[in-house]
Amino acid sequence: MKLRTPIIALFLIFFCVASGCRKHAEPAKADLLLKAYDTEADWSDAQHIISLSYQQAQGKRVFYRHCVWCHADATPAGPSNRSNLTPVPPLLNDGATLNAESDEFMRNIITLGGSALGKSAMMPPYGRMLTAEEIRSVIAFTRAIAQPSYQPPGRPGSQYSSK
Amino acid sequence: MLGPDLTNVGIKVSREWIYKWLKEPRTIVDKDGNVTVNGYETEDEPRMPKFRLTETELRGLSAYLSVQKARPIVPYKIDARVVSAWSKNPELISQGELRFRQMFCSTCHSLAVTRAGETKLIGGDIGPELTKVGSKVNPEWLISWLRDPQGYLAHTKMPRYGWSDEDLYKVTQYIDTKLTDSDLLTGVPQLGQPSQDEVQLGHRLFLEKGCASCHIIEGLNPQKDFGPDLSALGGKNASELEFGSAKIPHNLVAYIQAKLQDPGSVNPAARMPQYNWNPADLDAITTALLSMKGAPPTSALQNLVVPREEAGFHPTGSFAEVYERYKCYTCHKFNGYGGSLAPDLTYEGSRAQREWIVDFLKNPQTLRPTLILRMPQFNMSDKDATTLADYMTLVLQHPDANPTSVDARQFTPAMVTLGKQLYEVKYQCQSCHTIGGTGGYVGPNLNNAGGWLTPAWVEAWLKNPQALVSDTIEPRRNFTDAEIKALTAYLMTLRQSIKPQKSASVTASLTTALGAVR
Repeated sequence: MKLRTPIIALFLIFFCVASGCRKHAEPAKADLLLKAYDTEADWSDAQHIISLSYQQAQGKRVFYRHCVWCHADATPAGPSNRSNLTPVPPLLNDGATLNAESDEFMRNIITLGGSALGKSAMMPPYGRMLTAEEIRSVIAFTRAIAQPSYQPPGRPGSQYSSK
Repeated sequence: MLGPDLTNVGIKVSREWIYKWLKEPRTIVDKDGNVTVNGYETEDEPRMPKFRLTETELRGLSAYLSVQKARPIVPYKIDARVVSAWSKNPELISQGELRFRQMFCSTCHSLAVTRAGETKLIGGDIGPELTKVGSKVNPEWLISWLRDPQGYLAHTKMPRYGWSDEDLYKVTQYIDTKLTDSDLLTGVPQLGQPSQDEVQLGHRLFLEKGCASCHIIEGLNPQKDFGPDLSALGGKNASELEFGSAKIPHNLVAYIQAKLQDPGSVNPAARMPQYNWNPADLDAITTALLSMKGAPPTSALQNLVVPREEAGFHPTGSFAEVYERYKCYTCHKFNGYGGSLAPDLTYEGSRAQREWIVDFLKNPQTLRPTLILRMPQFNMSDKDATTLADYMTLVLQHPDANPTSVDARQFTPAMVTLGKQLYEVKYQCQSCHTIGGTGGYVGPNLNNAGGWLTPAWVEAWLKNPQALVSDTIEPRRNFTDAEIKALTAYLMTLRQSIKPQKSASVTASLTTALGAVR
């Protein structure tokens, strides 16, 4: 009897606080950016800020050092080299082209270069420049900024599931 | 010292300009309340803070500074023939601007440029921006400064260009005419000759206001430890702080921020001047101050911090003299010492051929045409260029690329043909390098690779670029030794003479001469 009243009171307080919190909760957007390791403005919409995970942020660093010269229209040095190349390389955020390529393919073309996969030899191999981890991170960054956005292939669902 | 040496400032600028600067250090707030510096918007505030000076103090300080003429300049007389040939020429100013650009002053100095209604600074930040410098400095001073910068300020980074009278006349006329703003000194009263009392007041204020803590004036000893010791500020209790009548929370963070933003708000008698922080800087400096909690406890952890080896490059002899005159180290690195704006030259003797270095120094045509900041045109003499090239060739070598180790005579036409194929078809190097006008511009232009690079360097480079220049973005490939030989053979056949740029002044004077004949 002695204990019950405070316990009930505690529960009441807890519920008030919990429901109150839910009502006034801010949209999660700001939180996402707070937790991000880095951000990248959407290339086709500067207002849209994409938050990056640790791996994607590492990929951004590698991209802006090695890849940006040919896979973007604006580079840290100003003009892009992209227009000098035939065939014109895809922009890194070109989801329409790159979303269809598997991570495996992306890893191979970065590591071995274009000619090894029947693509343009203008894409040099980076297997002796970048570590496997760096290459994975660049792919992660590519996926993060893709427009239209990238949907990772789902694990093949169980065909035998009752659901 | 943080600010410029003022020992000689009286011969450089007028008393009125000093008055304006002290009152409003460059920062001008326009009618919309936007902070502008010299008329264009910028996020970089001038380092000079704002002192809350009264009219009397302004007059005193400007008087004192305007009489600082310890070493009067001997005015340099530009050849009268040059002046008479050019002073009436309508092209004088545009020719001056052209030379200003050709000499690549903009590598270190910026100018505010308005394009499509948007004003921004174009150029480097090693030296001060010069948009309105013509309204600031005395024209005689400008000429003597350009001829011998170290004569005015011994430690300046400004190189000593080799000037012809013609160039000197054109460029200074351009600066004095175009880089000006007639409104710069609006609102400054006519100050006239400084009186003895004003000078004395200024002398006292210069020490009292702490000017001497950032600026040198020869013969003037600054007060030691002018500002209070802050090394234990972060450990202070709010009760130890003076908040005065400021309406702010009584805690350390609020105190530091109020003090930084407006020193007078917490203590009207504060000597600390007014700084203009952007919010990020304000937060950063607050954090730094909060972290200062007195001497750190000594512990074994300190031994973990390995002191960084101090990089040093101490050339001697005639090379050192030229190196110092042109201040090569401001932009280039030598054995870990120097700036990072331009390529590291530690291994330049392995990379480039001696003749190429000589030609390049006399006429620096950039290898990367997209660069905005380029090597200035120093008008270097043959002797200086040879001295530099000889030293670099002999001393600045990489152990893995000895220029004499690969003899270009071993290359056969068959190797060249194979190399060309590898370059154009198999490896498609043209995606980043240009030869003969086609190709990309990520890497350097290879039009003159055969006249520029040493075969030993090319071979070592193709084997492993990062072994020679650790931060290069050239991808490290997996060429076979035969491919490396073939590519080197091909690249060594590429030649394009660097023709001395026909200087515009020559062309222009020719045109004038022809016009006169007609």
